Amino acid sequence: MIKNLLSVCLLLFLTITALAQTRQVTGTVTEKDTKEPVIAVSVIVKGGNGGTQTNVNGVFKLTVPDKPGTVLIFRSVGYKAQEVTLTAGQTSVNVALESNSEQLNEVVAIGYGTVKRRDINGSISSVTAKDLKDVPVSSLGEALAGRLAGVQITTSDGSPDASVKVLVRGGGSITQSNDPLYVIDGVQVENGLASLSPQDIESIDVLKDAASTAIYGARGANGVVIITTKGGHAQKTRVNYNAFVGFKKLARELAVMDPYNFVTYEYERSRGNTVDSTNFSNDYGNSYAALSQFKTVKPIDWQQQVFGQPAFQQQHNISITGGDTSTTFNISFTDDQQNENVVNSTYDRKLLSFHLDHKANDHFRYGFNMRYSDQLVSGVDVSSASSSTYNNLRNTIKYIPFVIPGLTQAQSDQELFNESQLAGNNLGLINPITNSNAQYRKNYQYVTDLNGYVSYAFNKYLTFKSTIGVDLGKQILDNFDDAVTFNAQINGGGLPLGGINQINTNTMDLSNVLMFSNAAANSQKHDINIILGNEFYNIDMQGLNNQFKLFPNGIAPTSALNQLNQGTIVPGYPVNAYSESHLLSFFGRGTYTFDKKYSLNATLRADGSSKFEPGHQWGYFPSASVSWRISDESFMKNITAVSDLKLRYSHGTSGNNRISDYQTQTLFATNVNGTAVFYPLNDGTTTVGYAPQNLINEKLKWETTVSDNIGVDFGLFNSRINVSVDAYQGTTHDLLIQVPVPTSSGYPTQFQNVGKTQNKGLELQINAHIIQKGNFSWTANFNVSYNTNKVLALAPGQTSAFYNSGWGVSGQPADFILQVGKPLGSVYGYQSAGFYTTNDFNYNSANNEYTLKPGVVDPSKTIGVAEPGLTKFADLNGDGVITTADQKILGNTIPKITGGLNQTFTYKNFDASVFINFQDLVSVLDASKIEFTNGYTANTNLLATENNRWHTVDANGNVVEKIVTVGSTQVAVGSSPDVLNAINAGAKVPIPITGSAQFYVNSGAVENGAFARLNNVTLGYTFRSQFLNRLKINRLRVYVTGNNVALLTGYSGYDPAVNTRTATPVTPGVDYSAYPRSRTYLFGLNLTL
Amino acid sequence: MKKKFIYRVLSLVTIIVVGSTVSCKKYLTENPVAQVGVATAFSNVANATEAVLGVYSKLSGDQGYGIRLSMYYTVDQDEMVGPANSAAPDNDRRDIARYGASASNAQLEAPWENLYTGIERANICIKYIPLMSAYTSGSATDQASLKRLYGEALTLRAQFFFELIRNWGDVPAPFVPSADQTTLYLTRTDRDVIYNHILGDLLTAESLVPWRTAVASRDERITLGAVKGLRARIALYRGGYSLRNATATMSRDADYLTYYKICNSECADLMANRNQHTLEPTFQGLFQNNIDAHTLDPSYEVLFEVAMGGGTGVADSKLGYYDGPRVNNLGNSSLTATPTYFYAFDPNDLRRDVTIAAYFTNLDGTKVLQKLIALPSGKFRRDWITNPAIAPTNLVQYFGINWPILRFSDILLMFAETDNEINGAPSAAAISAFNEVRLRGFGGNATQANTAATPTTYAAFFNAIVSERSFEFGGEGIRKYDLIRWNLLNTTITNTRANLTLMLNKQAPYNNLPQSMYYLNASQTLVYGNSLYAATPSATPTNNTKVAWVSSLTAAYNTNVAQLFTPNHGELLPIPLVSIQANPALTQNPGY
Repeated sequence: MIKNLLSVCLLLFLTITALAQTRQVTGTVTEKDTKEPVIAVSVIVKGGNGGTQTNVNGVFKLTVPDKPGTVLIFRSVGYKAQEVTLTAGQTSVNVALESNSEQLNEVVAIGYGTVKRRDINGSISSVTAKDLKDVPVSSLGEALAGRLAGVQITTSDGSPDASVKVLVRGGGSITQSNDPLYVIDGVQVENGLASLSPQDIESIDVLKDAASTAIYGARGANGVVIITTKGGHAQKTRVNYNAFVGFKKLARELAVMDPYNFVTYEYERSRGNTVDSTNFSNDYGNSYAALSQFKTVKPIDWQQQVFGQPAFQQQHNISITGGDTSTTFNISFTDDQQNENVVNSTYDRKLLSFHLDHKANDHFRYGFNMRYSDQLVSGVDVSSASSSTYNNLRNTIKYIPFVIPGLTQAQSDQELFNESQLAGNNLGLINPITNSNAQYRKNYQYVTDLNGYVSYAFNKYLTFKSTIGVDLGKQILDNFDDAVTFNAQINGGGLPLGGINQINTNTMDLSNVLMFSNAAANSQKHDINIILGNEFYNIDMQGLNNQFKLFPNGIAPTSALNQLNQGTIVPGYPVNAYSESHLLSFFGRGTYTFDKKYSLNATLRADGSSKFEPGHQWGYFPSASVSWRISDESFMKNITAVSDLKLRYSHGTSGNNRISDYQTQTLFATNVNGTAVFYPLNDGTTTVGYAPQNLINEKLKWETTVSDNIGVDFGLFNSRINVSVDAYQGTTHDLLIQVPVPTSSGYPTQFQNVGKTQNKGLELQINAHIIQKGNFSWTANFNVSYNTNKVLALAPGQTSAFYNSGWGVSGQPADFILQVGKPLGSVYGYQSAGFYTTNDFNYNSANNEYTLKPGVVDPSKTIGVAEPGLTKFADLNGDGVITTADQKILGNTIPKITGGLNQTFTYKNFDASVFINFQDLVSVLDASKIEFTNGYTANTNLLATENNRWHTVDANGNVVEKIVTVGSTQVAVGSSPDVLNAINAGAKVPIPITGSAQFYVNSGAVENGAFARLNNVTLGYTFRSQFLNRLKINRLRVYVTGNNVALLTGYSGYDPAVNTRTATPVTPGVDYSAYPRSRTYLFGLNLTL
Repeated sequence: MKKKFIYRVLSLVTIIVVGSTVSCKKYLTENPVAQVGVATAFSNVANATEAVLGVYSKLSGDQGYGIRLSMYYTVDQDEMVGPANSAAPDNDRRDIARYGASASNAQLEAPWENLYTGIERANICIKYIPLMSAYTSGSATDQASLKRLYGEALTLRAQFFFELIRNWGDVPAPFVPSADQTTLYLTRTDRDVIYNHILGDLLTAESLVPWRTAVASRDERITLGAVKGLRARIALYRGGYSLRNATATMSRDADYLTYYKICNSECADLMANRNQHTLEPTFQGLFQNNIDAHTLDPSYEVLFEVAMGGGTGVADSKLGYYDGPRVNNLGNSSLTATPTYFYAFDPNDLRRDVTIAAYFTNLDGTKVLQKLIALPSGKFRRDWITNPAIAPTNLVQYFGINWPILRFSDILLMFAETDNEINGAPSAAAISAFNEVRLRGFGGNATQANTAATPTTYAAFFNAIVSERSFEFGGEGIRKYDLIRWNLLNTTITNTRANLTLMLNKQAPYNNLPQSMYYLNASQTLVYGNSLYAATPSATPTNNTKVAWVSSLTAAYNTNVAQLFTPNHGELLPIPLVSIQANPALTQNPGY
């Protein structure tokens, strides 16, 4: 630190002395080709701080130090920078700048080859290392969100190993995976985002339209993400060290009731129920007035206890890169350690990668890449794909916010568990800290990628390249639940249970490509590129899952997991899994460009897949695209503001074969859909049976997407502003769907090729160099996408299907619907109409009965007996009764608008960037809110919004309203409407219902999910090279960064970017027990030796 | 030079293309490893046994006889009622008990699908086992084993179809594997056609499945006794009344006696082989010491039972948790005896306190008497479970208790009933069979059982059978279907409600019953403090607690029993909605 200060002082001193003697230099700057003057070129003195700009005639005037060797730097957007060394006494200098459409000359990967961005006919979004350098995060998914037009990235929640859903131009498939295909360094892999660190990325190109993805045929329909990792360069060997340290902090906290409000609510809730009110008086006493003592009881903020721990994190990345003209290399090692805000939760990852390229002679090149990732996530996730019972957030939010006076924490815990358990559905509460301590989880993931290529150039036109890659993935999931957990209580007979699940996924990819290009001929009119190739792709998966129960009480997790035989094997285990599939492909692509203006591109791929029966194994995926570079036409020459203009159109088909293997053969196994098949003869659990798992369909084939894309690219003011606009429409047909078949077949569904979906959208991408004046520059990248999605058809005769995302209580109505004419992600439920008021009732002052006025909707068939304050659903079909027929689509959870804005600023040696991403026209199903505002379980806390509920007791604790049984029917009785209205003048929300109807989805829980997130703010400083040279340091930059700094949203939950129920793609955007996102502050440095 | 390059290129491309195309067919063929195909599943006796166990497995678990088929679908009737409805219909098990189920009821789809999955699995076994080479040319042992497996698959399929028919009437009837069906969109087949088919299948199975004494190891697998007993039962139902889809009325075929004769002869056959199956010495012992104690009964009284175990809904039962008396307030005690059923028992009939457990058990083992309208069913009770016992604090809900489908007392009573029907009056053998069952119920005390007075005329004997079956099989899921096949369900429900009203109004014959009952505090066994058959004493007996007895009856309770039953409608459940939606060829049952 002292050294740094010293250097700053030194630099200041040097600058001052440099000003001692000066002279003036003048000159004109012109464009090299056209000889036109260039305006607003920045002219600065290298190493000094003087600077100016050219005027409208391209003329500049600048005072420079009067000494030999002074260097002037000329910079302007769209031109290559030029340095001119002034001789002693030189006062005039003329400069001709060479055009450099940097963006247009960027190389873009298109599958089995690359092209310059200016030559693209399809639709491709890209991100490069430059864009990612300011994003010190460990998750690639997090780094990419909002940066790619047409690519929607949703992280399931805030957990360190949260699953990342990447959706390219909306989802086409209904029940099958919509994940894009990942290709890393030319090799197809199954999950590209998990095994990479953002620091190792050179570029990411996402192929979006079918014409671009058709080269990947049967696997291209959901888009293709091509990732190129960093290699070496022909340069002196350099050592880079990048590191950051920092901490995370819970970004948002949900307000819950304080102790006093809690007890007064519980008092109110327990009235009229003998068991509950007895429990209440045992816990908190009998007197309402005495409850005021809870105003002073010490509150416990469970969210702080569970998520609030300071979480230190650090990441270190060291790389050595270099090479000469024949050999280049890059070795990189990353160590990433994070403590999480959630108790008992840590994240640790080590990544090692190695790149080697060698050019043996003019004909022969080869290269080798190796990547190894070792990741360990410890601690139980807050959310679980299972039912509500196993989702942990509820314990944190709903746990009693204090210790019951007179009891120890442990006694209070037991009391609360017993009482909250009474309502059923296993929705009792466990102390969240105890629960977390009792759930031991280790998720080990190891990925080894080995790939290499050989390339042989027959001559300057013809090259052959063969690429082979293997991707070996191994995952080990250790789990152990101690006696106190729900899992142990329900499934383990009250004793600990645990096990080890090991999954190996291996892929092998071999591609052979022959490439022809006439570029070397320097033809003025004709550019021809042709590739022909074939590819083999194998994927095999093996799993072994061992689960044991009845471990002795008190056993340590590590002891149990290392000597599993201390327990008893759970019936149906061990479960073995094995599947293998092969894909054989042939493909070709030809591009012809005439006069650098008119371009035609055609692709054809044929794929044969072992997933299908002979006769249906081969699929053919043709595509074509054309483009016209209008700006090169002579009639455009005079329109100088437009520096580039290109029109593109493409049409193509691509496919999706992602179904489980062997669906064309009857398969017998000892478990069906994860359920063990056994018949417990003599109480034994080892008499396993074979059962058929599937109803075969020999006619299965690919689902196919046909899409059209029209786009225009233009550059303005010498490419100072570059704009791309794309409009597309894609239709996916022959969808692979598990179609309901007559249940008398013995199977609920069968895989069939039926149904149709459509995606339409618009994308806009703008890159602008807004200011480049002297020492200051400001650039901005903006992208926004609009996508709509529609189901055009389902199975023959089927117009809708319901899906239950699986949270809540048993008998819960489905919360999602798939309906012809409607988009995917449609939330289904009741329209909330506030709550019943006294105006809805006729009051009989003789017997105090409230009876519904005629014409007011009757809730008794669905929610319960009507009373003032009861939640009210709209009677959509107008039959006067709330039934299942009154449900409708309440919102759509796939955002129609997504985008981002990144701005970077440099001033002298300072740099800054601000990145905002956003989404709009989207709903979130806040299922957590439904659970956290209902009164289903006794003695559990609610969100603070429920303080404004409709009250049924008055200020003195007298019951003023209740349900009683008169004869054989239930009716509401209570004080007069005036009394109830006076008590409830401030009521904003209904009475929290204690019945299961409170779990029903209603419009109150379907919230607007629009947000704008200040995702990343970075401020950096790069030290001056003169000083660093003395320390043998090439470059040194220090920075501070904030991630997820601010969130602008009307959403009431933790975070609207959420997707927790991902068992099928049919239920996106559900916020149930999501791991809260944190805010991160980091300090980092980039050092190059 | 140029030519040379082109040759090189061409040869390379040729090698790649030809090479990969030749091996392509093989490359694109993948066979499962962790799963097996049909050929392997039926390659030897061991694998075929696993395939048949896969058929058996559809009997057990939540969607089989673990809870739904055994406890949700079998109430309400005059013996037992399910949990009472709250204000709103629950579209769940309560609505089923009230005969108010709609097609979308949450508890219908899964059991329906489960039964058909069982049928599909059986169909596959029935197709492939006889095709196995070992079936015709294997060793004698292998042939015998495979024949037994084939017979078991036929028997299991018969049971699945029988369960479908008695709950849903005419149903789609696939008798070949679904993969071989020309269409999966099957219409409903007349139940008589299915009955005749499965009666034929069971006859075939009788020639394939050995007597239990011919089987070395003892377990719950089907032996000849089960095949014959099931054939008797199915023939009895084939001859009984049912709600016909075509006419929407309860009727039976004119030739019903043909089927009663089948039933009678199968029962007679079984009764002639007492060395195979006979009654356990005591009624309580069968349940307490065998069924609830996870022990197969030594007399093989239970001819056919569903094995339960594993501790989860996959293959276990909630017997003793969903029904039965609670322990430490754990359990649902959802099946409760009607007060009229409790009082229908003769005071000396030992079966009453086995069939009905009038108490809950505290953590310390002490008993708490329950109200008369809330007496839990008792044959499967947590505090009787041993081998191993369930700790009172244990939260588990699955106790591994087997579901008895067919007991030897049913054989005796079916024999007696059909004998009476065929001959117009009971023969001596019929009376003897009847008395054998009754006598055991009274602990062998002929005086108390009053077997001397067993009726000898047709109508009186029939009525005696109707009552005796209720005393013998209460809580075993038989009553509702018995009443339907006799076409007595409507009458019985009406009578039960009338009798409950008499009891509520303290009218004869219930006018002398106690309004409240006392029971001994802190006692490990239930000890009544006063008579069940005399007015409540005014003074509280020492160390006793008072519980509402007849006074617990309310008009609301009485109307709740089978509340929404209407004749010619309630005898069948609605075809579940999802299944109707998946197959437009299916029609709905009358009135749904």
